[in-house]
Amino acid sequence: MAHLNQQTLLVFATLIFAPAVFLHLTNKNTSAVRLYMVQSSAIAALLILSSFDRFSPLIAIAIVATVAVKIFIAPYFFYGLIRRHQLTFSVTKYLNTPVSLLVIAALLALTQSQFFDALAVLSTSGEKLLRLAFATILISLFLSINRKGALSQMLGILSLENGIVAFALFAGLEQSPGLQLGITFNILIWVIIATVFASMIFRKFGSLDVTAMKKLKG
Amino acid sequence: MNMTAIPYWLLQILLIPALSPFFIGVTRRLKARFQNRHGASVFQPYRDFWKLFHKDEIISEDASWIFRVAPYLIFAVTLVIGASIPLVSTALSNTLTGDLLVVVYLIALGTFFLALAGIDTGSAFGGFGSSREMMVAALTEGGLVLSLLTLALISKSANLTAISANIGSLSFQSFTPIILAFISFSIALLAETCRYPFDNPSTHLELTMIHEAMILEYSGKRLALMEWASANKYLIFIALGANLFFPRGIADSLDIIPVMLALVLLAGKSLLFCVAIAVIESSIAKLRIFRLPDLLFTSFVISVIAIGLVN
Amino acid sequence: MLDFLSSAGVFDAMLAVFAAGAFGPLLLRHHDAAANVWSNSLAIGGSGIGLIFSGVALLKGTVPAFGADSTLPLLSFSIRIDQLSAFFMLVISLVAIFCSVYALDYVRHYYGKYSIGVLGFFYNVFIVSMILVVSAHNALFFLIAWEVMALASYFLVIYERRESTSIRAGSLYFIMTHAGTAFIIIAFLLMYRTTGSFEFGEIRDGIAAASPLVKNAIFISALIGFGVKAGVIPLHIWLPSAHPAAPSHVSALMSGVMIKTGIYMMVRIYLDILPGAYLWWGLALLIIGAISSLLGVLYALSEHDLKRLLAYHSIENIGIILLGLGSALVFSSYGMTTLAALGLAAALFHTMNHATFKALLFLGAGSVIAATHTRDIEKYGGLIRLMPQTALFFLIGSMAISALPPLNGFFSEWLTFQALFQGVVGFDVITKITFIISIGSLAFTGGLAAACFVKAFGITFLARPRSEHAAQASETNMLPKLAMAGLALLIVGLGLFSGMVLKTLAKVTGSMANLQGVEADVAQFRSVSIQNGFAETSMPALFIGVIVAAVAVTAVVAVLTRKRKTETGPTWDCGSDLTPRMEITATGFSRSLITISRGVLRPSSETEIEYHDANRYFPKIGTVTMGLHDIYRTYIYKPLRDLTTLIAAQFTKVQSGNINVYILYIFLTLIGLLFFMDLQS
Repeated sequence: MAHLNQQTLLVFATLIFAPAVFLHLTNKNTSAVRLYMVQSSAIAALLILSSFDRFSPLIAIAIVATVAVKIFIAPYFFYGLIRRHQLTFSVTKYLNTPVSLLVIAALLALTQSQFFDALAVLSTSGEKLLRLAFATILISLFLSINRKGALSQMLGILSLENGIVAFALFAGLEQSPGLQLGITFNILIWVIIATVFASMIFRKFGSLDVTAMKKLKG
Repeated sequence: MNMTAIPYWLLQILLIPALSPFFIGVTRRLKARFQNRHGASVFQPYRDFWKLFHKDEIISEDASWIFRVAPYLIFAVTLVIGASIPLVSTALSNTLTGDLLVVVYLIALGTFFLALAGIDTGSAFGGFGSSREMMVAALTEGGLVLSLLTLALISKSANLTAISANIGSLSFQSFTPIILAFISFSIALLAETCRYPFDNPSTHLELTMIHEAMILEYSGKRLALMEWASANKYLIFIALGANLFFPRGIADSLDIIPVMLALVLLAGKSLLFCVAIAVIESSIAKLRIFRLPDLLFTSFVISVIAIGLVN
Repeated sequence: MLDFLSSAGVFDAMLAVFAAGAFGPLLLRHHDAAANVWSNSLAIGGSGIGLIFSGVALLKGTVPAFGADSTLPLLSFSIRIDQLSAFFMLVISLVAIFCSVYALDYVRHYYGKYSIGVLGFFYNVFIVSMILVVSAHNALFFLIAWEVMALASYFLVIYERRESTSIRAGSLYFIMTHAGTAFIIIAFLLMYRTTGSFEFGEIRDGIAAASPLVKNAIFISALIGFGVKAGVIPLHIWLPSAHPAAPSHVSALMSGVMIKTGIYMMVRIYLDILPGAYLWWGLALLIIGAISSLLGVLYALSEHDLKRLLAYHSIENIGIILLGLGSALVFSSYGMTTLAALGLAAALFHTMNHATFKALLFLGAGSVIAATHTRDIEKYGGLIRLMPQTALFFLIGSMAISALPPLNGFFSEWLTFQALFQGVVGFDVITKITFIISIGSLAFTGGLAAACFVKAFGITFLARPRSEHAAQASETNMLPKLAMAGLALLIVGLGLFSGMVLKTLAKVTGSMANLQGVEADVAQFRSVSIQNGFAETSMPALFIGVIVAAVAVTAVVAVLTRKRKTETGPTWDCGSDLTPRMEITATGFSRSLITISRGVLRPSSETEIEYHDANRYFPKIGTVTMGLHDIYRTYIYKPLRDLTTLIAAQFTKVQSGNINVYILYIFLTLIGLLFFMDLQS
């Protein structure tokens, strides 16, 4: 990552961070999926750029796989799900929008604060980037907590995974292609299974609202 | 192996089958005397075998080749065992088949086929005879192996002829384990040779049959072979008891005089054994079958104590 | 040429053949016959290559070692086939060849009922995973192969998935094998913690620095973990239900070879990787072996399902192998390396022998069950006339497992006895007593095993048929007979050439880190003498002696009685009317032995009587059900299960059923950990 200047990286980091925040604000599921596609594109671009100094066929395969799965296959599954069950809107949340925005702000402040000074150990130059990536992680997790719709929760987890990959890239950690391939494979299987499950749940419970699934308790 | 040893080897191989009916006859006559009967001649078993060999045979139509082959196999096994144990001379040592475990397991081979032959005809008697026989055989093995092991550990060799050679030259200090092992061995002897209190060798009641039940369907020459094999086993065990535990007098070379002397001494010791067995058989009753394991475990425990005393 | 045969290329070729044999049937799954032929022929091919490879490696003494690094840390696909691995690989390949030949015909029973493609896939994966288990040189790679082996065998166990017993057996097996794997992982993690590596070679170099506590912990966790797979009592409860549920050729492989992989790892860890065994390890193994062998054979006596009976005998023979291994450990702890090598050689020889005769018995049982369509011994009888060759092979297997001379089972038990005999004189009291108990248990086990197989063979094959099932049985086809004949020849051959096998095993034990070669001399007549002539025997002489004597007796008697006639007639039975019900039954045969050991076996007997009248004077139908209480479930596994359920019930308080709450837990933990980390620094 050393050959890219900080500005470019900051742009990419914002492209990853912003969708995570906007996911909280959207009401339509289709725009949520589109935000995820934006985030994944940023990750893919970062991967391609970082592979320029150390190229190997395996890395190329990993990148192609990431692009294919995250930008094309996963949204395809989600659109299919939305179309089949008419899940256009997902407004159900625990905390309403102003309060959730407050929580997002608090999390952002937390990552910018002294508590995260330890991150400087990993990369002195890209400290801001690391903090942003970590904020992405926390905010995506919060999305999963706040939303009641299963689709939003799935997108929250996927956004979390993007944030982790971004963190690793910014920190310059060892990116073995085997690892990337494994993670991508994992995401693929996860998406397939999750959509199948979502269909099954919808058929049984009549909605993807998790509060309706009281019978799972205990 | 030089040519002069061949007559002695012939003697070794043929001694057991030749003499075993005699000792059976002696035991029967002594028991008869205890029962205040005159008793048949001691050579009667020879006549019985001659009679059986001259009779025709009827074989059950349910029987398979195991029934037909078993008598030959069992008799052959007793011949092999008879050739491997110390009889008249320790110079006739056989390191190929003379190991104590080999002898014990060859006996087990004979028992295996005997039990199978009992089941083969599908009669009501053979089945339970085999069941009882396997039960007694399974429980006897512990005591038998351990008592012979005691001797092997004392004489530092597991070869039976070597044991015989070494025990004879020991001091009285090793007496206690040998005597204990002998007690254990004699219980095993009574069990394996189908004597009281385990089995009644001359019974006609199925309640008391073990060995007799398995050979009930045999006739003619095969019955003769089965009875003869049983007699061989009897003499084998007596010879083992005599020559392993009290081996004084056994020849250590292949000269004619010591061998003849050893032969006479062997006959004498075997006669003493027959007397002892006849006395035991006449004075105790046959035990109920579920009391037998206690006796066999006692034999096992006595051997364990005997081994524990070996230093 | 020979070096090439034991090179990495040949090994990879073998893997490729198995891979083709695995994936081919999946593509051919709509053509049953093609899938069957493809999968089994390629299994034969792969096993053949494995046999040549391991045979050459064993004979030449080469140690092929190769591997590939993976991109993941700590894991490297390294393979090292030293003498011990080569020996086990030889056993696996040998048995697999015969089982696959048998399967070519046997699998036809499943045409149209279950998917042959899936069977072929999992069968090939199973064999190749076993080979990888014994050749892996990296603990993580080993665990991967171990897990694949467990999964493949699980799917083979539940292959007949419409039977509820199969599913239950599979579930129990699945849980037990993973519980065992957990302990194996603990053992490997302890090794990693001390030496910092998962490579066996590096662990061997660095483990000497471990504290006694760590070594004891490794011993215990490896014992439990591999003991579950090997089937030692009391970890054996999966074995009697899982082995019968699988198809017969798979049962033969599982019982003959898969449980030996547990033994392989025990030998590898205790005698090769860990230096300096402690005395109590060997004594513990001896006690466990003694208990396993006795209880295994006692339970086998009470069984009426032919395959369950054979499964319990596997437990018994594992006990005998553990007796050899335990004696090796004890001698090793005293520094008596030649005696330790003797014990190990006895254990390894018995491993190979048991693989051969157990496979033969299972294949025979498979033929019998396929011909009569029932597994209950009480329904058999008279099969020796209808299935003569199967009966002969089953008889050879029964004689071998009862350790009757001159077959191979006798020699390995003889060797085990010799190893145990050496431990009696000149040791302290505890060791002496343990060895004496082991000798006693081995002696009793031999006798009880013979009793059990008289019952199994006699009731199955001899006398008259006891049911319609048995009366209409017919002999199997050529291929199963060929496989069984091959195994029977192998059994006789191993018995005859025991001396040579012992020499090879002496090389195997000599190659291990802490041991030397066995002090065994093979002299004229191929007689084997142990420990400078303490014990000596010659298997060929025994064989020839018995045969010559039998032939001589037959000839003499035939000549003497040539004028006698032999007629056939109905069974005499003392002149009574013989009905089919008067034959001995399996229950009756073994009931006396069960009654004697009722303290251990806890037999149960329930009587139900249906009466004609209300006053209960005139019985109509009476039923007696005789069985055994399962003391392991009652006293060990049920309390464990109840405790686990109790603890788990306490944890349900945390579960609210709402996904968001669970993610909130994760979130709060994450924030909390960050604060904690910050406070630390």
